[in-house]
Amino acid sequence: MPEPMGFYTDTTVCIGCKACEVACKEWNQLPSTNGGLNTLSGNSYDNTRRLDGIHWRHVKFIEQFPEDRRDGRWLLMSDVCKHCVQAGCLEVCPTGAIIRTEFDTVVIQSDACNGCRDCIAACPFGVIEMNPVAGTAQKCTLCYDRLQGGLEPACSKACPTQSIQFGTINQLRDRAQKRVAQLHQSGETRAYLYGADEKILGGLNSFYLLVDKPEVYGLPSDPKMPTRNLKPGAWFSVLGGMLVGLLGVISFRNRGSGEPRP
Amino acid sequence: MFAAMHAGRVKGMLCIGQNPATSLNAKLEREALRKLDWLVVKDNWIHETANFWKSAPEVTKGEVKAQDIKTEVFFFPVSQVAEDEGTYTNTQRLLQFHFKAAEAPGDCRSDTWFVYQLGKRLKKLYADSTLPRDEGWKNLVFDYEHEGENERKKGDPSNPKILKEINGFATDDPGRHMPGFAALKDDGSTTCASWIYCGVYPAPDKNLAARRTADPPGTPGAQLGWGWAWPSNRRVMYNRASADPDGKPWSERKKWVWWDEEQKKWTGYDVPDYPATKAPTDKAKPGAAGMDALPGTAPFIMRPDGLGWLFVPSGLVDGPLPTHYEPAESPVKNPLYEQQTSPVMKYWKDDANPLAEVGDPKFPYVMTTYRLTEHYLAGAMSRWNPWLTELQPELFIELSPELAGEKKIANLDWVTISSPRGKIRAKALVTRRLRPFTIDGKVVHQVGMPWHWGYEGLSRGDIVNELTALVGDPNVSIHEGKTFVCNVEKA
Ligand code: SF4
Repeated sequence: MPEPMGFYTDTTVCIGCKACEVACKEWNQLPSTNGGLNTLSGNSYDNTRRLDGIHWRHVKFIEQFPEDRRDGRWLLMSDVCKHCVQAGCLEVCPTGAIIRTEFDTVVIQSDACNGCRDCIAACPFGVIEMNPVAGTAQKCTLCYDRLQGGLEPACSKACPTQSIQFGTINQLRDRAQKRVAQLHQSGETRAYLYGADEKILGGLNSFYLLVDKPEVYGLPSDPKMPTRNLKPGAWFSVLGGMLVGLLGVISFRNRGSGEPRP
Repeated sequence: MFAAMHAGRVKGMLCIGQNPATSLNAKLEREALRKLDWLVVKDNWIHETANFWKSAPEVTKGEVKAQDIKTEVFFFPVSQVAEDEGTYTNTQRLLQFHFKAAEAPGDCRSDTWFVYQLGKRLKKLYADSTLPRDEGWKNLVFDYEHEGENERKKGDPSNPKILKEINGFATDDPGRHMPGFAALKDDGSTTCASWIYCGVYPAPDKNLAARRTADPPGTPGAQLGWGWAWPSNRRVMYNRASADPDGKPWSERKKWVWWDEEQKKWTGYDVPDYPATKAPTDKAKPGAAGMDALPGTAPFIMRPDGLGWLFVPSGLVDGPLPTHYEPAESPVKNPLYEQQTSPVMKYWKDDANPLAEVGDPKFPYVMTTYRLTEHYLAGAMSRWNPWLTELQPELFIELSPELAGEKKIANLDWVTISSPRGKIRAKALVTRRLRPFTIDGKVVHQVGMPWHWGYEGLSRGDIVNELTALVGDPNVSIHEGKTFVCNVEKA
């Protein structure tokens, strides 16, 4: 069994080129918003707006310029599925379509997904959405097919600044800690790692180096598993489970009729 | 060229991989295109230049009628890079060979096919001429028939044969390729199309541009086994300057080439850009020519005194020292001199190329134009690609919240932008990345626009170059489209 693999994203060196977004779409043959006829979002240089079923990488542009323009900065962050060690999506999937791979990554098997959308609600990071072409819930697979072929994921391969790094989690954590120390030493004391230890959902196999609060980047500071409130043995949970199963079967029959994203 | 075309002095144009209908003072350029007898556009897409007669704003607005345009336009669909084999030469002088990855669709042909076929046809036209001026055509050797039968049938030339001609070979033994420009002779015994590339193809089975040997990770080096750089596979020019006058590296970290005292020669990671055995202690020989006239401490071997110049008394039109002039258009007087703009700047005088007066209240703002990572130049390689157009879908103008407030413009509002040359529309992107300047006690607002858009393609928008002027720098005519004056109003 290979060691756990994942991404370390150092947001301080991202230049916002979006090569990762395009490389992801090209490798995974994902469609474009409205066939490419998109509209300007008005939010800095971000026009794809969010992670969803056809955007498995998304670069965020956060402008922090005070009125007097002093100490202004443009935070850039390439967002992706966190491949959580305790993954909410995997926990709620009624059909077992979501699996943990031999690389300790979380993958939705499209052919077993019935499009019930439970995982969409269960993900604390808002990563998953329906892919309107496939009619199934989709997200980053950490290029499972490339990994099986001994290649690194398309995004990290394309990233010109090594903002996105791929490797074994141990090696990446080690590298990331050294980078934080280096940044602290050179005066950037706001640098810290998000998800590089067990505190967040048992560890994120895609973790980040950030220089502001998680919320600034649209990340929850303390994400929870969907089952956190369930009392074992409670009747309603059993009933609920059965209901989910039933709904699952029904949705399976409706699969493919998912309406396209507006 | 377009100024001459606009004045009616150019008859025809081969437009290969360019899109001038969206270029500087775009309306003037399209007016110039209308004065051509013929225009050949060779591109991947029917872009703005190919369709200037049909979908340009002046035609769709009815100011110009398509039937009144006499220019005959020919469109040649062309293959993309991955559909041909050949070499890339980048601005770092590195030649990298690439293979063909896919067949081009339909009737698309390569650039080399086009030029080869054109050359062969022109040669045929001149074959019976008796005019002395056509001797060149008649004696031109233009024989690059492809080795493969299929390609030959299609009319494709052989790229290795072309590369061989560029590299050079022995005239009476064409199988013997030239190993480098030092082997070239001026007695006719060698043939070489371009000395700088001599050595890239030193033997029939050795195309050095195709090499892919990288230096081992973590070791210093110049990647000499990766591709080939002109001239002589040298990666950094004037690299003797990486060593101090004594020939020692300036620092361990920046070590590149140095003088090896024991072997009495220059060595290093890179190919030294210096006579191999010219010692740092060498004195200049009075009255000598070439390198003998330079001391062993002078690294800039193409300069008459071998030195880099800060004070440049000759060679520059606007030397000897840099100074500040305002651009051709400016909202302020030059705070440094009486002289407002460079006295030697290039300006193409034409009724269609007017400039605003200094501080013209009709155009109070400074405009700068730039590019986005998502699009490439005039957009023919990016605005037809849905993966790119979804990332940057629409033309926009960036302005500060201060100016937006003054003009009552909200984020994403449509805005009209005008200059003495034209008027366009774009959506507002209000951002603090732009800021008002205080110049000479006066608040000056700056706005910025990316310029990739046009009236064809998947993502369309107005052409920002409708606003720019034909103004160039005095040395190499680099245009001044990066700064001019404009007005901005809510549309
Ligand atoms: S490719 Fe790398 S540098 Fe470019 S946007 Fe993505 S993470 Fe940032």
